[in-house]
Amino acid sequence: MKMYKSIIFLFLGMLVFTACEDALTVEPRDNRVTEAELFQDPATYRGIIAKAYAGLALGGQEGGDGNADISGIDGGFSNYLRLYWNMQELTTDEAIIAWNDGTIKDLHGHVWTDGNEFINAMFSRVNYQIAVCNEFLSLSTDAKLDEYNIPADVRADVANYRAEARFLRAYSYYHGMDLFGKMPFTDENSDPAVLPLAKSRTELFEFIESELLAIEDDMVEARMNEYGRADKGALWMLLSKIYMNAEVYTGTPRYTDAITQLNKVISAGYNVPNVPYAYSFQADNNRNGAEDGFIWTINFDGLNTQTFGGTTYLTHAPVGGNMDPSVFGINGGWGGIRTTEQFVELFPGEENSADTRETFFTDEQTKEINDVGQFKDGFAIQKFKNVNVDGSAGSDTVGDFVDIDFPIFRISDAYLMYAEAVVRGGSGGDLTTAQGYLNQIRERAYGNTSGNITVGQIDLDYLLDERARELHWEAHRRQDLVRFGQFTTSKVWAWKGNVRNGTTTPAFRNILPIPAQELNLNPNLQPQNTGY
Amino acid sequence: MNQKLQTVLLLILLPFFAFAQSVITGTVLESNGLPALGATVSVKGTSNGTSTDFDGKYTLNNVPSDAVIVFSFIGYTTQEIPLNGQTSINITLAEDPSELDTIVLIGYGSTKKANVTAAQTTVKAEEFNKGAITSPGQLISGKVAGVQVTAASGRPGDGPVIRVRPGSTLGGNQDALYVVDGVPLDQRNASLNTINPADIESFTILKDASATAIYGNRASNGVVLITTKKAKLNSDLKIGYDVQFAVNQVQDYAHVLNADEFRQLVADQGRDPAVLGDANTDWQNEIYQNGTRAIHNLTVEKGYETTSIRASLGYTNENGTLLRSGYERATLGLNVRQNFLKGDLKLNFTSQLAQEELRRADEGAVGAAVVFDPTQSIFNNTGEFGGFFEYTNSTGPEGNAPRNPLGLLNSLDSQLDNKQARLNLNAAYNIRQVPGLKFTGNAGIDYNEFDEYTIRDFNSGAGARGNNRSFGEGFRRNQLLDGRFEYKRTLESLDTDMDFTLGGSFQDFTRQSTSRSSVNNELQENPIAIDDSALVTAFARASFDIKDLVVISGSASRNGSSRFSEENRWANFYGASAALKLTNTDFVQNSGFLSQLKIRGGFGQTGQQDIDASFAYLSVFTPGQPQAAVQFGDQFVTTIRPEGSIDLKWETTDQWNAGIDIGFFDDRITGSVDGFYRETKDLLLFGPLPAGGLENGSFQNAGSTLSRGIETSISGKIIQTENMNWTLSANATVQEIEITDLAGADNAPVPVGGISGGTGNTIQEWAVGSDPTSFHVFRQVYDQDGNPLDGVYVDTNGDNIINDADRVRYKKANHDVYFGLTSNFNYKNLDFSFTFRGAAGGYNYNNVDSNSASYGSIFPTNTQTPIYVNSTVDILNTNFSQQRLQSDYYIQKADFIKLDNVSLGYNFPGDKVDIRASITGTNLLTITDYDGTDPEVFGGIDNNLFPRNRGLIFGLGFKF
Repeated sequence: MKMYKSIIFLFLGMLVFTACEDALTVEPRDNRVTEAELFQDPATYRGIIAKAYAGLALGGQEGGDGNADISGIDGGFSNYLRLYWNMQELTTDEAIIAWNDGTIKDLHGHVWTDGNEFINAMFSRVNYQIAVCNEFLSLSTDAKLDEYNIPADVRADVANYRAEARFLRAYSYYHGMDLFGKMPFTDENSDPAVLPLAKSRTELFEFIESELLAIEDDMVEARMNEYGRADKGALWMLLSKIYMNAEVYTGTPRYTDAITQLNKVISAGYNVPNVPYAYSFQADNNRNGAEDGFIWTINFDGLNTQTFGGTTYLTHAPVGGNMDPSVFGINGGWGGIRTTEQFVELFPGEENSADTRETFFTDEQTKEINDVGQFKDGFAIQKFKNVNVDGSAGSDTVGDFVDIDFPIFRISDAYLMYAEAVVRGGSGGDLTTAQGYLNQIRERAYGNTSGNITVGQIDLDYLLDERARELHWEAHRRQDLVRFGQFTTSKVWAWKGNVRNGTTTPAFRNILPIPAQELNLNPNLQPQNTGY
Repeated sequence: MNQKLQTVLLLILLPFFAFAQSVITGTVLESNGLPALGATVSVKGTSNGTSTDFDGKYTLNNVPSDAVIVFSFIGYTTQEIPLNGQTSINITLAEDPSELDTIVLIGYGSTKKANVTAAQTTVKAEEFNKGAITSPGQLISGKVAGVQVTAASGRPGDGPVIRVRPGSTLGGNQDALYVVDGVPLDQRNASLNTINPADIESFTILKDASATAIYGNRASNGVVLITTKKAKLNSDLKIGYDVQFAVNQVQDYAHVLNADEFRQLVADQGRDPAVLGDANTDWQNEIYQNGTRAIHNLTVEKGYETTSIRASLGYTNENGTLLRSGYERATLGLNVRQNFLKGDLKLNFTSQLAQEELRRADEGAVGAAVVFDPTQSIFNNTGEFGGFFEYTNSTGPEGNAPRNPLGLLNSLDSQLDNKQARLNLNAAYNIRQVPGLKFTGNAGIDYNEFDEYTIRDFNSGAGARGNNRSFGEGFRRNQLLDGRFEYKRTLESLDTDMDFTLGGSFQDFTRQSTSRSSVNNELQENPIAIDDSALVTAFARASFDIKDLVVISGSASRNGSSRFSEENRWANFYGASAALKLTNTDFVQNSGFLSQLKIRGGFGQTGQQDIDASFAYLSVFTPGQPQAAVQFGDQFVTTIRPEGSIDLKWETTDQWNAGIDIGFFDDRITGSVDGFYRETKDLLLFGPLPAGGLENGSFQNAGSTLSRGIETSISGKIIQTENMNWTLSANATVQEIEITDLAGADNAPVPVGGISGGTGNTIQEWAVGSDPTSFHVFRQVYDQDGNPLDGVYVDTNGDNIINDADRVRYKKANHDVYFGLTSNFNYKNLDFSFTFRGAAGGYNYNNVDSNSASYGSIFPTNTQTPIYVNSTVDILNTNFSQQRLQSDYYIQKADFIKLDNVSLGYNFPGDKVDIRASITGTNLLTITDYDGTDPEVFGGIDNNLFPRNRGLIFGLGFKF
């Protein structure tokens, strides 16, 4: 009897333990799904490529950047476009910010370190975007499509998506190359268990160029894709951009190649739109006529694409002081971003310029900036407005999120690059054609021909200034200043170098540091960029 | 055959070879004359033994005629009686006078206090803090060395933060494991508030790992065993009723400029006085009131021969000091014990039911009251915004202005209802066939259901923009099944008591919640949140008490957690400890002054897996919400996000402990000293990942910490007479913790400790060689008069640039020393007690000052119409033009001594009713140099915490 009992107890004990092994295998029951469940629905591919696009527009999976994609920084701050804009604009004469958010003021002051959380977040964002594109590519191989029995019509779409994923990946590598010089390199074949190796700036250039050339035929024809998705026009623009800056990236000028690509863009049917300059940055800029000049946009919507980055940031942050938020279609300003007097002076007549691209708000604002932390120090810029051309406000009645789409590439940029490439000695274009292009821009800016220029006026100084007037606050300025050799060691503006009147800064700041945190985790990225 | 094996065989076979001689029977009674149940009756020098049944009766077979019979019963003096031919021995046992024989709880079992080998402390009901206490943790505040209890805030229903030794983990849960009557609570839902403090019999805190290793998987931060009250068998009907009424007041307000001072400041700064209002409003005075708390407890208990029942009904109702805050709770505690099979089977059913209602006030009002312009009046004349004055811009309330604190409070209706049931059935079965073998099992469930809502009035400053409703509900469930065999036996030949435990435990946790909130002014269902996890443990322990002089104990547990992949799921943890009971040596017995001396030492290993990521090792996809869609053409496409995965493993802690327990002069003075040294490695923490994957940060096993400390306690019975007793107890802890490793080749520091002012600013940093609460700041430069120079910092790296590379680690929030002092005095029917508590060596970051006290904050330039914002009086010291958030000027010494509790009571003994009346003051006095409202800030970042209360409590108790 005793024996029996012992055996039974022992047996029961073992039974309990075997059952427990199973009990430890738990799977998520919330809204997260596994790969096998997911691809029951072929529409999944559209959802994942949408994520690759969303990576540029949104901070996370919930409206207002909730459930953020990257950590280490506030979700709203983590928005790709917001970070990229900060890198390209706050570091220049075009923009200065009042806030006390961590090390943000160090950007304008040119005193950033490899611990700067905004630089760190930008690095994370760029690499996250690359990882999402890689993931799309490895989930959409022929083998996977076969495994999940994806029907033929979806496969045709997936082929386009794959080209776009490679385009988006190249686009982010381009940002990495431009900002950080070298980058950890991964593609869809990388082993996640192996720390990525670094690609130098030149190697990145070669990779981006070869990728873009390889997918050119697979991209949808220019102006034929769904609005917001990249097409051949976007691809040519990106090629133009890397060729324009090739001398910075690799030491070898490629202006002729730039002109070749720009000619494709220019002949694809885009126009400097026949509507006022201001329309391009308003709530309905996807349909008010301004869209004729857009080559590729990041789309935002007050109800469906809600973020505190992107154009929401570009609309709220520059509103403060006595500015009336209702004019901007928002519930209030964030009182942050203004511009320096050096930028003001690029417009003839300054705040009273005949150039309609001058949008300064000056009531109780001083042109000079004595205190960076005071919004009223420095003129404000009224470029992004969440109002439709009929005067009505954007779709979010709360007044937080805006509808304005952000033009990554516009035809004006192509015209200006064309002229610059010609001036810099590229072949395949000429100054007279360039003059015609530039005057299209000028005529819209002035509403007439009074601002037109002559061939003789077209030189590099003019083009840099004209780029600022036409493209200011569109995330080009830092790259332009570097290309013109005026970002660090020459040219000063208010608070550059963290002093009131500005000072030159060391040339090493032409590229940003690799974040210290990244060097710590991936020794393949050693050594740190010179100077940091 | 080797010697060892022979011995073992002999031990096993011995019972079968003992040959029959005679049978003896008898009855064993306890000193009170009741039958002793489960007393051991054995033949000295043999393994022949039995235990008494429910009637105290025993039958012992095969007794040689010259045998000596040994009667032992836990808590009683062991007696030996020579048989001398008797066939029946009846005996009444005498209680062991030594409290060392008191039974104390240990992990999965109990033992004599004298045999405890680890650092552990038991606090019994009579030692608890007095007062109208809502949360059980407050009962032991200041009572135990090595246990830091940070007082709860003034928020109704709030409980204190309890830390057993410094938290070893950085990213995992730092809470101790609470085990209530044998049921381990979900560490992320350890709502002790649902236990009525009046039902608690004792707390036993297991501090060191040799004691906690048996709970391996969750014990890295100590284990707190809570025992609830039970009725005794064969006891009379007892009815008790207690009522307490408390009046609470906010301890201190933030020191801000009053209206006149503010007007003066505006004038001194040459600002336009037209922006000011013409009122004199003390906003802090307006948002607080005298809080009240009433507590009623009714207890009924009765013991029958085989059954005992205790039921208690508790009711607490509190109106908080912050307007519209409140807490209401009803608890029903029930304990039923039933013995079967003449006491061989004991069932013990415990249930704690609670219903809570938490009325949540808008705590944004606390900060708003600090900064709202004191010259503005509370009300407007228009009726807009519910009649409360608000700043506006052309589109509605001005987003960059503070909201009217009273407007905030009055426009928010928010409540959390919680129903909790904690049920446990405990069965203990003496397996009579094998003397000394016992099975104990628990089947328990801890379940709660909650329901909450928040509604903001549209006609208010905070609600005018819309999106102002949210609703949620859900449940949490924690189910336990455990069982263990315990086998006790005495090896007379070796004069050794042996105690073996072998068991297993299975526990699963489910948390589920659904919610809806207004998005774009429509209620939208949020994604359901479900979190499942499970833990499995097998454990064993062996203890030997050799010659009543040396106690050796070893334990092992094997643990599985569902949070890890199959490869990393299981881990083994061990503990070993020993004690030398020198009390029993001639040296101590003959010393004349020493009455107790024990030296203890141990080592143990524990694990940590409780992180906020249950499926980190799985690759999953997360759909996006409709507001996070992407526009393709005219279509908004919902996104699908692929998630990264990471293979985590157990975080492990090794801990060494050495201690001494000592008593003098017949234990008139007793004391303990414990030292510990602890290393935690493979820390589970959230940190950055190298670029290349789908996550740039995640939980990972990275880093290690080292902590060590000394804990001392001393207690003296200063007066001990029939009419008068006075006991004074003190404890002090010295401890430190440092990070010894972090992720990556360079151990790059990790910024932590978010603050107010700007977005994303941090003030602390994890770095190797430093305390995890170290501040990371600029070194402020001062003028000759000692005033800080605005924006002037030390260029610590000498590169002529002031940037974040010049921030250094400076001071820390953790205190070096914690201490408590308790006095209990009684004279006849009068009793008087008090508790002091204090800490030293830690610093706070004064975020209230740093956020408000600068002219940039006072005179903002980002509002459409000008406004002024109030500041703490610190602006007059600094004259800072802008926020200098990261200046070390704001790192301020936070040493304090608090008079937590003073209580005076009187008992009126009656024929039928005993009445006790008491008056208690809580949080009466704080001695500190700290400038903020309260030096006691958990984590060290002082930012408008819900102010603590000072209270006066009247109590009346009746016993029938």
